[in-house]
Amino acid sequence: MPGKRRKETDRYAGVETRVQVFAVLMTAAFCILVYQLWQLQVVQQHEFAEKAESQRMTEKLLKAGRGRIYDRQGAILADNRPSVDVVMVPGECDKERYGEIARTLEELLGVSASRLLEDVKSLSRTPYQPITVKRDVSKADRVRVEEHAYALGPGVFTVVRPQRYYPYGKVGAQLLGHLSAITRREKESWGEKYTMNDRVGRLGLEAMYESLLHGRDGSMFVTQYVSGGSVLRSDRYGTPVVAPRDTLGHIIEVEGERIPPRPGEALHTTLDIGLQAACEEALAGEVGAIVVLEADTGAVLAMASTPTFDPNGDLGPLYSPDAPKPNPLFNRAMRENYPPGSVFKVMMAAAALEEGIIDENTRFYCPGFFQINGKGRRFHCWKHAGHGNIRVVDALAFSCDVFFYNVGLALGIDKLSAWAHKMGLGQKTGIDLPGEITGLIPTREWKARLRADEPVWERNWYPGDTVNVSIGQGSVSATPLQAAVMMACVTNGGWRVRPFLNQDRGPKLSERILSDRTLDIITRGMRKCVEKDDRAPTGTGKAAKIEGMAILGKTGSAQIMSLDEHKQYATEEDIPKYKRDHAWFVAGVIDREPRIALCILVEHGHHGSSSAAPLAKKVIRAFYGETGVPAMTTARAEGG
Amino acid sequence: MPPRRKDMDVRDASVRIFILRNLLRVDWMLPIFVVALALLGFVTLYSATQGSGSALLIRQMMFFGLGSVLATIILCTDYRFSVALAPLFYVGSLALLAWVLVLADARKGSERWIDLGFFLLQPSEVAKIALIYALTWYLSKVGQRIRKLHWFLLTFVITALPMALILKQPNLGTAASLAPLTVVMLFVAGCRVRHLLALILIGSALVPYVWFEMKDFNPETEEYLAANERGKRAILEEMKKAYQENRDFYDLHWHQKMRIYTFLHPESDPRGSAWQTVQSKITVGSGGLKGKGFLKGEMTRLRYLPEHHTDFIFSTLAEERGFIGAAVVIGLFTALLLRGLIFARDCPEMMGTLLAAGVVTILAFHVFVNIGITVGLLPVTGLPLPFLSYGGSFYMATMAGVGILLSVPMRKRAFIY
Repeated sequence: MPGKRRKETDRYAGVETRVQVFAVLMTAAFCILVYQLWQLQVVQQHEFAEKAESQRMTEKLLKAGRGRIYDRQGAILADNRPSVDVVMVPGECDKERYGEIARTLEELLGVSASRLLEDVKSLSRTPYQPITVKRDVSKADRVRVEEHAYALGPGVFTVVRPQRYYPYGKVGAQLLGHLSAITRREKESWGEKYTMNDRVGRLGLEAMYESLLHGRDGSMFVTQYVSGGSVLRSDRYGTPVVAPRDTLGHIIEVEGERIPPRPGEALHTTLDIGLQAACEEALAGEVGAIVVLEADTGAVLAMASTPTFDPNGDLGPLYSPDAPKPNPLFNRAMRENYPPGSVFKVMMAAAALEEGIIDENTRFYCPGFFQINGKGRRFHCWKHAGHGNIRVVDALAFSCDVFFYNVGLALGIDKLSAWAHKMGLGQKTGIDLPGEITGLIPTREWKARLRADEPVWERNWYPGDTVNVSIGQGSVSATPLQAAVMMACVTNGGWRVRPFLNQDRGPKLSERILSDRTLDIITRGMRKCVEKDDRAPTGTGKAAKIEGMAILGKTGSAQIMSLDEHKQYATEEDIPKYKRDHAWFVAGVIDREPRIALCILVEHGHHGSSSAAPLAKKVIRAFYGETGVPAMTTARAEGG
Repeated sequence: MPPRRKDMDVRDASVRIFILRNLLRVDWMLPIFVVALALLGFVTLYSATQGSGSALLIRQMMFFGLGSVLATIILCTDYRFSVALAPLFYVGSLALLAWVLVLADARKGSERWIDLGFFLLQPSEVAKIALIYALTWYLSKVGQRIRKLHWFLLTFVITALPMALILKQPNLGTAASLAPLTVVMLFVAGCRVRHLLALILIGSALVPYVWFEMKDFNPETEEYLAANERGKRAILEEMKKAYQENRDFYDLHWHQKMRIYTFLHPESDPRGSAWQTVQSKITVGSGGLKGKGFLKGEMTRLRYLPEHHTDFIFSTLAEERGFIGAAVVIGLFTALLLRGLIFARDCPEMMGTLLAAGVVTILAFHVFVNIGITVGLLPVTGLPLPFLSYGGSFYMATMAGVGILLSVPMRKRAFIY
C-alpha cells in the first residue's frame, strides 16, 4: 500500500486503557512499599535503632568433633580429648586496652604480645571472631588466667575444645599424620566449612581423609538485650554453653534452635597397630621401612618408617629448616627411591617364565662374571667364585647375578619394563596416602628423553644398560611399598593389588597376570631361599626361616657405590655406614590365613641376608603369634 | 490486493528473523534504568558479602555480562519468531522441571537446580520466561474469543502445568508468581472483567477456609521433635490415622495439610520465618532517613540477618542507604516497569503488548513481594529481588525479560508505510 500511511493493528479498542489501569495499580502497590519504608525508617526509626543497638546477637560456633581413626581390631589410633584454650574476642574487649591485655597475656602465658596484636588487627573486620591466644594450656596457666580475669576483662576467657590425641604416640606417626592450623589460602579455597581457628590434617591419613574426618560445625545464636559481655562456659562434656547471665548480671536470651554440629565420620583402617608397633621396634635404631600387606586384598597391615616422631608433641622443630636429618616426618616406605637390587629378580624370573624366555630347566653357566657375547666389560656376580651351571629355582634361592644378566638380555628392555610396570614397579600403587612417589623403571624413551641434548650414541639404549637393570641396579628405583605390592602378587596367586588403608575403600585387583606354572617355579625358588636345604649351600634368606611355616623370601643388597670404590676398603667393616649397601628383604607367607606379603628395607644395612631377613622373622612371628594364627595383637597405648 | 498475512511465515522472504541493526534504534531510557539498578546491585552485594571474599560479586558481574548478551540476542530477534516457537519453549521448560524433580527424587532431597558445571540452572526461572511466551502465543491466537468462558478457562490449564511442577519442588514463591502473570495477561488480552472478578472472589474465599483448617495443625509436637528418624515416621503415621478417622467431609486431607505446612515451615529455615521478619524490620528501620553509610550496616555485617545476600539484600541496602536510597531503588524499578508498560501500550500488535505486559508483571511481582517481605508486609516465602539478589538463573531470566521488553518497540515501524 505505498503512499498510504496508516497504522494497521490487530488490537481491540480498549487495550490501551487496560494497560494504563494496570500501570496505575502497579504504581499504587509500589507506593504502599514506599509508605511502609517511610513508617519504618523515618517515623519509627528511633525505636528500631534502639532495638538494633541493644540487641547484640552473636553466632557462637559449636565445634564438630573430628572423626576417630581405628585400627582393624577397633583400637583407637586417633582420638579427641578435651583441652583448655585461652581465647580472646576483640569485639568484647575495650579497644583502648588491647595493648595492655596483650602484655598481660604475654606475662601470664608467655605468648608474644606483638603477634597477638597483629592477629587482632588482621581480623578487625570480624571483631566477634574468637582468636586463640594459647592452645591446650596447663592447669597452672588456666588458673592464672582466671585469677587475672578482672584485669583482662570479659573478652578473654578459657574454653574447652577438643584436642587431637594419638594414644599410641610414635607408632605409625607418619601414616596417621597430625593436625596443624589451617592456612589462609586453605581457608579461602575450602570455604564455609572451615574457620581460621580450625586445625586440619597434615601428612598421612589425617590429610588424605580431611573431608571425611572434619565434620561440620554447628552454631548457636545468642541474643543479648543489654550490653554486658556474654560469658562462654563449657559444660562437663566440653560443649560450649553461654552462661545464663552476662557480666553485668542481665539475663541472656538464646534465640531459636541451635544447629547441632555434625561430627566427622570415623575412619576404620586396615592397620594392625600391634604389628605396626612390632615393625617399628624391629627397625629401632636403624633408618628404614617395613610394609606388610594382606596379600589377597592389598590391605595395609603395617607400614613402618623410622625414625618416627611423636604427633602429640610439638612438631615445630621438625618443620623448621634445621630439622633433624633424616627427618622423621618423612614416610620412607612410599616417598623414597631405593635401587631394588636383587629383589628385582623376583619380577625378572616371573617375566621371563611368562614370556617363555626360559623354562624350569633352562641353565646358564655362572663363572662369577658375565660378558656380553663373551667379550668386553665384565659384569660380576656377587659370588666371585661363581655358581656353576644354574637353573631358575636355584638362581632365585642363591641370588645368582649372572643367570639374570642372561635372562635380562634375552628378555630385552621393552618386555622387561612392561613386566615391571605390570607387577607394580615404576608407577604409583594407588594407596590412599598423600605424596606417594612413582619410582623408576628405565625404558628406551626415558633414556632418550633424559639425554635429549646429547649426541645420539649417548641417547641410544645398549645391551649393557639392560644387563645393569636386570639385577635391579643402574637407574632402577622403587619404594618398599611397590616391592611389597610385587611380593603380594607372587604370594596371592598372581593378582596385582592396590594397597589401601581405609576399609571402606576395599580391595581392587588387576587381571591375573601370573600362571600357575610360573608361580610354582617362583614359589619353589623363593622357598628354597629361606629353607635350609640338605645339601650346601643354603639360601640367602635363611635367617627368616620359621619352623613349620611356608615362607617365600628374596634378599636384596642394593649397591650405592661403584665396585672400584668398593676396592678401597680392605674388609666390609671398614666401609663407612653411609656408603654401605641398602639391605632388602621381601617375603610372603602362603600357608596361613590371611596370607601376607612384606617388604623390609634397612638403609645402609649392608646385606639383605644379615640385616633385613632377621627382621622379617620378627615381623611374621609378631603377626601370626606363636600359634601360627593371627592373634589379636594389641600394643599397649601409652597413657590415654 | 492480497490479504496481509498476520502470522509470520518463514517462507516469506521479507521476514527477517535476526536484525542486528535493531541495536541502533534501541530505546535508550530503559537500559539506563537497568544499568543503574545493576550497579547499585553490585555495590550492595559487595557490602552484603564483605568478609567472605569477592567471588560472589565477580560471579554476579559475570551473570550481568552474560545476561546482557542474552538480552541483545533477544532484542535483535523478531519476537514473532520467538512467539511462534513458544510451544517448543513451553514443552522444553516442562521437561526441565520434570527432570529436576526426578533428580531431586534420586538425591532424596528437595533440589531446585540442574548442575551445569559452571553454574546451577534453576528450571523454574526458565519456566517463567517460557510461560510468558506460551501465554502470548495462546492469547494472540485466540484473539477476542477470550471473552468466551471456555477459552478463558483454557488459559489456566497452560499455567497450571508448570505451576504444579514448581509447587512440587517445593518452591511456593516462584509458583505463586505465575498466578498474577496469568491474570494480568488475560486482563490485557481483553477477557471479560466479570470472569476475572469471579475468579479472584473464589480464590479469596479459599484463604479463610485454609486458614481455619490450618490454624491448629502442627505435626511437630515436642514428642515428635524428640524422636529419632524412625520414631518420627511412626509418630506421623499415628497422627495421620487419628486425623483421618475424625475428619469431616469438608476437611482437607492429611497430606494436603502436610503439604501446606511444609510450605509455611520450610526446613531450610530453622529459626522460624517470623524471626527473619523481625530481624529484617529492625535492619531496615535502624537505617533511618539517610542510612548508616556504605559498609557500615552493622546488622548485616554481624549477620543478624539471614540470607542477606539473596532474598534479604534489600534490607542491607535500606540499612546502609536509608529511606532515600531505598526510595530511589523503588523509583528506578517503577520507572523501568512503567517504561515497559509504555511499550505495551504503544505497540500496534497484540503479541507485543502481551509480551511486554507479561514481563512487567513478573518483574513487578518479584519487586513487590520481595520488598514487601523485607519491610514486614508479607510473610516470608523466599523470592529474589531483580538486579540486587545474588543468583545466576534469576539474573539471566531478568535480563532475558529486559531483552523481551526492548524487542517490543522494534516492531513498531514495520507497520508504517
